Amino acid sequence: MPETPDVDVIVVGAGPAGACASIELARAGLQVVLLERGPFPGSKNMYGGVVYPRILDELIPNWWDEAPVQRWVTRRSTMVLTPTQALTVDFRSTAWGAPPYNGATAYRPDFDHWLASHAEAAGAQVLCSTTVVGLLRDANGRVVGVRTDRPDGDLRARLVIACDGVNSFVAKEAGLHPPVDAANYTLGVKETLALPKEVIDERFGVRGREGVDIEILGGTGGVNGGGFVYTNLDTIAIGAVLKLPKLAAQKRRPEEIIAGLKAHPAIAPLVEGAELKEYSAHVIPEAGLAMMPKLTGDGLLVAGDAAAMCLAAGIWLEGVNFAMASGMYAGRAAIDAIRAGDVSTAGLAGYERRLSETFVLRDHRKLKRAPHLVLSDRVQHVYPELITSVAERMFRVDNPEPKPGLRRIVTSERKRLGIRRRDLARDGLDGFRSFG
Amino acid sequence: MSATAPIAVCLKWTPARLDGGPLGPDAADDRFAGISPADRAALELALRLADRLGTTVTAITAGPAGAERALRDALAAGAERAVRLDMATDADSRDVAFELAQSLADAAIVLCGDYSLDRGSGSVPAFVAHHRRIAQALGLVDIDVDTATAATVHATRRLDGGRRELLAIPLPCVLSVEGSLATLRRAPLPRALASRSAHIDVVATPPAHHHGAPAIVTAYRPRARVMPAPAGEVVLDRLRRLTDAGTAPSRGETVVLEPPAAAARIVDALREWGYLP
Repeated sequence: MPETPDVDVIVVGAGPAGACASIELARAGLQVVLLERGPFPGSKNMYGGVVYPRILDELIPNWWDEAPVQRWVTRRSTMVLTPTQALTVDFRSTAWGAPPYNGATAYRPDFDHWLASHAEAAGAQVLCSTTVVGLLRDANGRVVGVRTDRPDGDLRARLVIACDGVNSFVAKEAGLHPPVDAANYTLGVKETLALPKEVIDERFGVRGREGVDIEILGGTGGVNGGGFVYTNLDTIAIGAVLKLPKLAAQKRRPEEIIAGLKAHPAIAPLVEGAELKEYSAHVIPEAGLAMMPKLTGDGLLVAGDAAAMCLAAGIWLEGVNFAMASGMYAGRAAIDAIRAGDVSTAGLAGYERRLSETFVLRDHRKLKRAPHLVLSDRVQHVYPELITSVAERMFRVDNPEPKPGLRRIVTSERKRLGIRRRDLARDGLDGFRSFG
Repeated sequence: MSATAPIAVCLKWTPARLDGGPLGPDAADDRFAGISPADRAALELALRLADRLGTTVTAITAGPAGAERALRDALAAGAERAVRLDMATDADSRDVAFELAQSLADAAIVLCGDYSLDRGSGSVPAFVAHHRRIAQALGLVDIDVDTATAATVHATRRLDGGRRELLAIPLPCVLSVEGSLATLRRAPLPRALASRSAHIDVVATPPAHHHGAPAIVTAYRPRARVMPAPAGEVVLDRLRRLTDAGTAPSRGETVVLEPPAAAARIVDALREWGYLP
């Protein structure tokens, strides 16, 4: 006879995905246990990053009144770097500095803790310092609970939702993850640098709670990836996202790459005199749809980074919003399945349907070529120089020579850099398919 | 009173250090607050003693609602009852001790850690013993209770110079233990889950009233160090040597040395000054 479940749902991992799943489940009156291996939700997370919390409109009305935000991103810059040049496309919107806002910089330990507190307020039992070390299965192989690292640590449930991050041991043990390919991952490394708020305001041209998000192509010391600079209230987050095989092949230390980025003439004035408060690193599931695991199993759902719900598509670098949404939809699918008395893979099909109907999978499908394109050698190592060289010649005054036409500049620079026309056309087409 | 009366363990809830600056936790942030390893050792010891004596453990703390996390952890580990004295975390030690003594009037053994995370004065256990007019011992590295009579605690106290003092302490008593004495057990999952919603007795306390003699608040002072006996035939000479009276004050010295030589010089200096044997 099957053992009686202790609770309705076990959610593994109290990050954004786990918290949002738990909020939905607890509000529906289900018994939820949210297990977190750290001493508090968010404690395992790196400080700082940009969060796009629009999806929270569905869960926490007027979330902006209470969310622990550092700054509201009102300036969004994309910077292309070569060792001696920089070209920046800078967008600023005052609308993003007022409700309902767009993106925000936040310290993840604060943000995750706040989100999990909503799950607890809704009735979820949040238990920290508890690591899930395995899955419990019935005679048919269906997941019926988890084994934790505590004494007497088995906990049974009708359903388990794995939100345990990029290295999801739960999804891997369930056999939902494809074999690990290092090419699908990047290493995000970051320094948090302290500066007085008024200095940050002055250097970045912002006031009050306005903030800046700078995404950088180039400047990563020849390792495929990208850089970033975010402003918090009185700190700056600066770092790089680096393709793992390239990083390993070049035998470079990631902190050297950040040091190089900080020394770049376009970046150095922004961080000058800052005090290093924290260095941290985290693996990112970068390949999007190409590395996504099976999202459902019998008695099991996977959400957040555990399901590779991270969008790394050049001009769009998002993760927390995909985690929150996938967690929320996992919660809703779980409610339906439990009420229908069918938590098999078929009974949980509503999860993938919801993801497919919304931005979560639609964006991933639309941008499925983008991660590969953005991290390709030409985009990383050749096009930044093409773009900045063209800009330099456009803006350089070579009197008594007359001004050259743009077409002539592009053609001559393309030839100088050895870029074949068909490669440029193919990459342009890929880019248009992704971003167009 | 016998040891079958409850055993109490006092847990000092300490807010995060007021480090200030970016990323530094502030005092109101309970995520970074906690209890000391010595308190955790005291809790573990209380649970072991309770098992042996067939009694129960009451965990008690003085602090705001956030301090209940320490009590829930104690309940998860095996404590039967939890009590929070509703007081500010910076309440005067004498007031805290007075309230603790009132709430723990029936406890046969009151266990405390011998230091808190904020490196306080360690005076609360002594004040508790004073208010209850019972014995107190501190700096303990081993505790045993004669289960046959359940009337005496046999304890080992750490002394300077690697020495140990064996104590026979009549019950009831207040005992302060070192953090190395025991490692707190991992709470079983069912108890950990149940503890999240377990009942905690909250005791309202009157405003500060400073029970006992007024305390003199002074700056932190390092512990005394052992000095060699002064040489000299005449008492006055020995006093002068002890006090450096009549000699020019030392201004220290600045030396520029390679790291190995610098390390050796530092060790020599510490030995000369009496910090090393």
